[in-house]
Amino acid sequence: MDLSKDLVAASATPLILAILRQHDSYGYEIIKTIKETSSNEIVWTEGMLYPVLHRLEKNGLIESYWKLSPEGRRRKYYRLKAKGLLELEEHTKQWELVYFVLSSTLNASSKERVDSDV
Amino acid sequence: MFDLEHNVKSWGDYLRSKGLSETDVVELESHLLDQIDDLVNSGLSQEEAFIISVKRLGNVNMISEEYSKINTENLWKHLLVDSTDPTAKSRNRRQILLVILLSLLAGTTAKIPYLFGADVGSIVFFKNISFYVLPFIAYFLTTKHSSTMKLRWSLLGVFAVMCMIINFYPSYEPYHTEILTTIHLPLLLWLVTGVAYMGKDWRTSKARMDFLRFTGECVIYGSLLMLGLMVLMMFTIMIFQSISIELEWFVEDHLIIYGGTAVALITVYLVGAKKSVVENFAPILAKIFSPLFLLTMLAFLSVMVITRTSPFMEREFLIGFDLLLGVVLGIVLYTISARNLYEKQTIFDYLNTALIAVAIIVDCVALSAIVFRLSEYGITPNKLAALGENILLLINLIALLVLYIRYFASKIEFKRIETWQTKYLTVYAIWFAIVVLVFPIVFHFR
Repeated sequence: MDLSKDLVAASATPLILAILRQHDSYGYEIIKTIKETSSNEIVWTEGMLYPVLHRLEKNGLIESYWKLSPEGRRRKYYRLKAKGLLELEEHTKQWELVYFVLSSTLNASSKERVDSDV
Repeated sequence: MFDLEHNVKSWGDYLRSKGLSETDVVELESHLLDQIDDLVNSGLSQEEAFIISVKRLGNVNMISEEYSKINTENLWKHLLVDSTDPTAKSRNRRQILLVILLSLLAGTTAKIPYLFGADVGSIVFFKNISFYVLPFIAYFLTTKHSSTMKLRWSLLGVFAVMCMIINFYPSYEPYHTEILTTIHLPLLLWLVTGVAYMGKDWRTSKARMDFLRFTGECVIYGSLLMLGLMVLMMFTIMIFQSISIELEWFVEDHLIIYGGTAVALITVYLVGAKKSVVENFAPILAKIFSPLFLLTMLAFLSVMVITRTSPFMEREFLIGFDLLLGVVLGIVLYTISARNLYEKQTIFDYLNTALIAVAIIVDCVALSAIVFRLSEYGITPNKLAALGENILLLINLIALLVLYIRYFASKIEFKRIETWQTKYLTVYAIWFAIVVLVFPIVFHFR
């Protein structure tokens, strides 16, 4: 299933923040996590991820630091900041609201159809 | 054998040359390597993994997408190919047009000495050689970097004032100070042109390091183009000779001059426009020749000690050794400037250090010979200039050696070496200015 461009853009921020809430991570790992969690349904491109990461860092939602990987490579890790956590809660509320409205509307309409069938 | 490390590095250099910041490049490089590791683990070869990963990362920016299209095997083919982006295309065209116009203007300027009765090959012609080329390069660079008018006109002002002073100074037999001026003026004015390259940041270490690298790359590109020009001239003379037409006068009077100025300007244009190409092979050249120069100098020193002959009885050899030390310093500096700041110590750092150490010994031998000649035969402008240059080189080399050793002991960062070296450039500029402007007066223009 391909997510629409608009949805990918809208969901990127909360998803990144949610991943970073679990533990600090770096670009490659974030893409991998998203891919695995969605059973290969959502595949982000680097061209989308890095600009978002850099924007979030600039806005003070996350911060970065350098760390050596086990292979001795310099890797840029990102960490969630307090402001980012608040932002994540705000996003989650909005998504829950959208999901609630969507699912109850669908339920109501299917109920109506069932009612009219009877 | 596919060299993964080299390919990743050249990919990174490409991103850098397109204006990505150092941290972004390091971040993307580590991303690329992670991707490659995973692909290799799933059974691909390193080369396949590299190609796929570069393609996949292509969407990071139009930038790396462009890279994935360019095959490093035939980079030369892309040298003068117009860019696909329309604004870049028209800018590129305008630059090429400017290069052609400036080359023609520069070549015509080189004819001015004729009006004063000086031939090609006369000392007046050679003394002014910087003025046929460097002001035009400075003009091109300030246009390209859209520098302020103030910077451009003050630079051109410096050229004009220097030109007047140099030609206003008289010259008497045996013309020693005039020859010294001829040698030192281009060096001095090249540093002035450097300000046009660096723009308003010309005092910073980063800009000066870029300028050193630019200088090295100009030498390489320029030599290649010059070789091409010479081949062209030889063939021109030969084929017309075969139909009994002597063209040597045409080649000597026009082709050499216009060709020479064009080579200089095209070189500057190419180094700027196709930076990524030369970045790929210039460090390789430096790496090939630094061990060879090291071996040659070591062999020379040991033979000199064993046979107990002093090499500096003739004055010409002294100048030759100064040139040698200059070239060695150039190689050392280029290796430093082309080095990745984040790289760990490599064998080439040790090689560079050994080269510096041997150059110090050679310089000391040369210095002792100069001091000997000074005390034996008295002061002449040549010897004084040689003495000054050798002392400057010696200080430079010793400082580099000390800094390198402290870097190996992990006492300082590599950046310190760069900062020191770029600051020292000012000292060279001052010395060249003294030789050009003060020496003639002190030695009564003789």
